[in-house]
Amino acid sequence: MMKKRILIISLLACLCGLGAKAQNVSDLIISEALAVPDSTGILDDYGARNGWIEILNTSQGTVTIGGCFLTDDKSNLKKSLIPKSDSRTQILPRQVMLFYASGNGAQGTFYTDFKVQKGSTVYLVSNDGRTIIDSLLVPANLPDGMSVAKFPVDAKQIKHATSAEPCVPTPRILNDSVDSKTKAQQMAEKDPHGFILTIVSVSVVFLSLAILWFLFTSLFKDKSKQTKKEAAPKKKASSKDAPMDDATALAIALALEMEQGGDDIAAIAMALHLHLTQSVHDAESFVVTFQQGNSSAWRNKQLNFRQLPR
Amino acid sequence: MDQIISSLEQFWQFTGFANVAWQNLVMIAIGIGFITVAIIKEWEPLLLVPIGFGMIIGNIPMFPGLNIGIYENGSVLNTLYQGVKMGWYPPLIFLGIGAMTDFSALISQPRLILIGAAAQMGIFGAYLLAMHVGFLPNEAGAIGIIGGADGPTAIFLSSKLAPDLMGAIAVSAYSYMALVPVIQRPIMLALTNKKERLIKMPTPRQVSPKEKMIFPIVGFLTTAFIVPSGLPLLGMLFFGNLLKESGVTRRLAETARGPLIDVVTTLIGLTVGASTQADKFLTGKSLLIFGLGLLSFVIATTCGVLFVKGINVFIKNPAKKINPLIGNAGVSAVPDSARVSEVVGREFDKNNHLLMHAMGPNVAGVIGSAVAAGILLSFLG
Repeated sequence: MMKKRILIISLLACLCGLGAKAQNVSDLIISEALAVPDSTGILDDYGARNGWIEILNTSQGTVTIGGCFLTDDKSNLKKSLIPKSDSRTQILPRQVMLFYASGNGAQGTFYTDFKVQKGSTVYLVSNDGRTIIDSLLVPANLPDGMSVAKFPVDAKQIKHATSAEPCVPTPRILNDSVDSKTKAQQMAEKDPHGFILTIVSVSVVFLSLAILWFLFTSLFKDKSKQTKKEAAPKKKASSKDAPMDDATALAIALALEMEQGGDDIAAIAMALHLHLTQSVHDAESFVVTFQQGNSSAWRNKQLNFRQLPR
Repeated sequence: MDQIISSLEQFWQFTGFANVAWQNLVMIAIGIGFITVAIIKEWEPLLLVPIGFGMIIGNIPMFPGLNIGIYENGSVLNTLYQGVKMGWYPPLIFLGIGAMTDFSALISQPRLILIGAAAQMGIFGAYLLAMHVGFLPNEAGAIGIIGGADGPTAIFLSSKLAPDLMGAIAVSAYSYMALVPVIQRPIMLALTNKKERLIKMPTPRQVSPKEKMIFPIVGFLTTAFIVPSGLPLLGMLFFGNLLKESGVTRRLAETARGPLIDVVTTLIGLTVGASTQADKFLTGKSLLIFGLGLLSFVIATTCGVLFVKGINVFIKNPAKKINPLIGNAGVSAVPDSARVSEVVGREFDKNNHLLMHAMGPNVAGVIGSAVAAGILLSFLG
């Protein structure tokens, strides 16, 4: 018994662990970085043009990046701390956050203590200061004013790969969202009259229910034969001429006496009639009983009194 | 004295009389109409009374900015409305539906499950029509789901695909669900002949508790793997049914099908009603939605009945033929559409009880509409 409990608790703990992992800092990636801005580069809060690092939350839940580190030195993973206490460090689902690589982290929450150098690798480090969550290599030959970026490579947009070519910078914008359209807009273009969606959807609905049909027909095939066999002797035993069991008669009498409405009496009588004569009623999960009153530990005050030891 | 008059004038500006518009009065009249129909005709009273009263609440003219309206952030009504807007209520209702639904009619005759699929053509027929009249694909999908004859599913999907149209879609879905006997009967009679209406179907076999226990698990795994986007609805439906059938969670099942579903139904009805504020509801689009909703019910019923007739062509054994009068029950208005099958069937043969048979496609329709909603969500969401 104890082993079983431990097993169940361990299983639940594992499940909780999996659930917690689903929306934590491991879902963050460095989606884009720029080393040397040109004259068109964005200005930071101080009016200066710096390189920058863009972080993407790939999950469908909000993730707090506060407490994590950014670095360009693998031997010093805690080089630039992202302040923990700033509520602005929450990244919404499928959204990005930009950090200016000004080389002076004291300038604010979104500034790093290092500058992005060409040929270096930028690392995002977990809040334990040891685990590297993601990294991005900034090519040595990256032209000024161009960025290195990652793009989604799977339909779920979770896995990303670095683009081989330098990219036009898209700070604070999802890398794949420049031309992105909603599903409905895409559908309006692909299927303006709705015929394709209709054919596919009807097929899927039929397929789903046909699979259910097949499963139930095959799963419960033997059961039906068995239940028919079981039902056969019952029918004989409960024919009209057979004397009614005393307990059954008493149950019927009590039930009819206690119920006031005509509908209830008719329903009970019909159900019992079908059950006893035709066996068409299901084998119910519960035993049906007729109880007077509705007392429980919650209602009866005397059951809630404290039992003092004597 | 001037101050008193000035205060009274100021107060007057806050009253409903000063802010009333004819559109508000129209919506209040519709709300009273819903309540009247629900009380006198007893058409879906559990839904129409809350929706009708919600319409009255939502259309009381008021001075904006008092933080009491349903569309004003932080107001009580707005907080309750989040369950509709964010889609919390529909899965909870599905939990209750699962806990009160007996799937044995379906398990005993699995062949009837496909009728539930055929009737979903109402959804896609309405989708095509909505696209044709100029709605965007996401709006057309949300309108089409009215044809599933399933209020919670309609609210769930429209809240995701077209939140602006949700009020009209929800009211349309529930209105036509209340009118199922009126809409379906003439179609059933028009599409069947007397011989077909008199078909007697074989008595369903007995279903064991073990089969009923296995059903929600197998049903959920199958449908959820095919359409994971229907997870909130399918998961709750089959979970509720497992609570009912497992035999060991009776208290949970009773709560789900009793107090929980009652509370959620009250809140969903009231807030959906209140969301139909005149300025957002009384538009040409709403009228179109009502028209398309009616057509979707007609298409669903027609396809269900014709599908059964089509199946009968391939069934050689006369004893195994299916009465086409249960075809209408493929829509998921449980148990109203099954009841229509029973009533119409008994009009022609008093001893021909179709209710038990019609419940099969009826509950299959619940699964089918949730699957269809999942598909539309994955394509258009």
